Amino acid sequence: MSKFTDVLENKVMPIAGRIAGQRHLQALRDGIVLTMPLIIIGSVFLILANLPIPGYNEFMAGIFGDQWATKLSYPVGATFDIMALIAAFGIAYRLAEKYGVDALSAGAISVAAFLLATPYKVSFLAEGAKEAILVDGGIPTALMGSKGLFVAMLIAMLSTEIYRWIIQKDIIIKMPDGVPPSVGKSFAALIPGFAVITLIWVLRLLVEQTDFESLHNIIGEVLGKPLGILGGTLGGSIVAELFVVLLWSCGLHGSNIVSGVMAPIWYGAMDENRLAFQNHEALPNIVTQQFFDNFINIGGSGATLALVVAMVLRSRSTQGKQLGKLAVGPAIFNINEPIIFGMPIVMNPMLIIPFILTPILTVIATYIGMSTGLVAKTAGIAVPWTMPPLLSGYLATGGKISGAVMQLVNIAIAFCMYYPFFKMWDKKSFAEEGGSETTGNKIA
Amino acid sequence: MNILLCCAAGMSTSLLVTKMEKSAQEQGKEHKIWAVSGDSIRNHIDQADVLLLGPQVRYMLPQLKKLGEEKSIPVDVINSVHYGTCNGAEVVKFAEQLVSK
Repeated sequence: MSKFTDVLENKVMPIAGRIAGQRHLQALRDGIVLTMPLIIIGSVFLILANLPIPGYNEFMAGIFGDQWATKLSYPVGATFDIMALIAAFGIAYRLAEKYGVDALSAGAISVAAFLLATPYKVSFLAEGAKEAILVDGGIPTALMGSKGLFVAMLIAMLSTEIYRWIIQKDIIIKMPDGVPPSVGKSFAALIPGFAVITLIWVLRLLVEQTDFESLHNIIGEVLGKPLGILGGTLGGSIVAELFVVLLWSCGLHGSNIVSGVMAPIWYGAMDENRLAFQNHEALPNIVTQQFFDNFINIGGSGATLALVVAMVLRSRSTQGKQLGKLAVGPAIFNINEPIIFGMPIVMNPMLIIPFILTPILTVIATYIGMSTGLVAKTAGIAVPWTMPPLLSGYLATGGKISGAVMQLVNIAIAFCMYYPFFKMWDKKSFAEEGGSETTGNKIA
Repeated sequence: MNILLCCAAGMSTSLLVTKMEKSAQEQGKEHKIWAVSGDSIRNHIDQADVLLLGPQVRYMLPQLKKLGEEKSIPVDVINSVHYGTCNGAEVVKFAEQLVSK
């Protein structure tokens, strides 16, 4: 077993550290995080427009008129549908910040470059017509949202790389002495900005000559589709979750690291479900951001809420009792650092076993539940990961009891998995404390 | 003394902040202690005398050490046992040691 922790410490750790410290991945994650508050706000309106209470529709229509749901959805469009636009800014901003160049300019240039890659054509279905036609002159909201996320990501990184390269090579317009410094500064973004815009422009012209017609189509085909398939399957989900818990087993923030890679896929899947939910169609995706946030990692990564419950109810050791008391509050809000570092699970082979196996089992259980239709799929409502379980399952599925039931099942699975290992740990701690309830090191 | 803590979202570390504040208060010390998420460090580091990282984001240490050198403040990772058990007193002591070094 010590061999196992050796491998973790010496092989996995350094690689994980390097991936996690990689500035592009960090910028990607931090930039996408910028969209979160907006999406959560939009989700509140989304829920209000779709409450599954009998008579609610009629009640609202009676007060606010027939168009009430459409009107309530205005903020949903304004928040969800600009996900890519905000990400284009946020990713470029965070990346420029890491390079120590002017982040605000880099963000602005990236937004312009992203729009330049987007044809201003909107599909329009005339009344009585069978096929939609493309109309010029409108920014297509569909491509500003999750559909444009991959393009936004790539352009943000490409444009910021060019930007900082030119700045760092010191290719800037130099102002003669006597010109106020702030005037010179305002020109600093000019050359890199020009380079970025010209490059994307040329790219767009080239792509327009091909059958793909737009950069969005190419990237969707080459990157979006395969990644979406990879991230949306049971196998892909298990691998992703495996990485999360393996990293946490080394004491690294697994979900933070993995989400750098997976967030665009899972947020994209979430938004596809949101659109379907709004239009009262069948939800296309099982695996979304909420699938992991609200169903798998109940109590924090590794689904440790059940472990904390066991600790509170069944500890004999003083350490177990005190740690349980300390950890139960955060656990309800899916924060489990006290358990991971305090118990600890980190580098502790005995507890790493259930820590890795439990979330894999809950992934499988939830996937089966949702794919068979026993449990409602997540409806694209961005429930924050800190939302307590049962409530979060109900909300994430758009107000379906089956969501909360699935969470109960997952907690039960986790309890069964953790309990024997918890007992071993508790017995050991109890023995170390001399078998008496009053001795032992005080915690906290 | 101003002690800045950092983890992924600033949430689990905020738990430690309350324990540290309590411990500092008991010792009659006036410390300003607050926790932020990894992506907003740059907005806070100017007010800090020392920056402490949660062990789960210790991969950010090399990057933030460089930043700390620019601002000439010490940067280090919190001991994971102290972190897990929310041992406020020990972490305050650790911060004080780093600054006085």
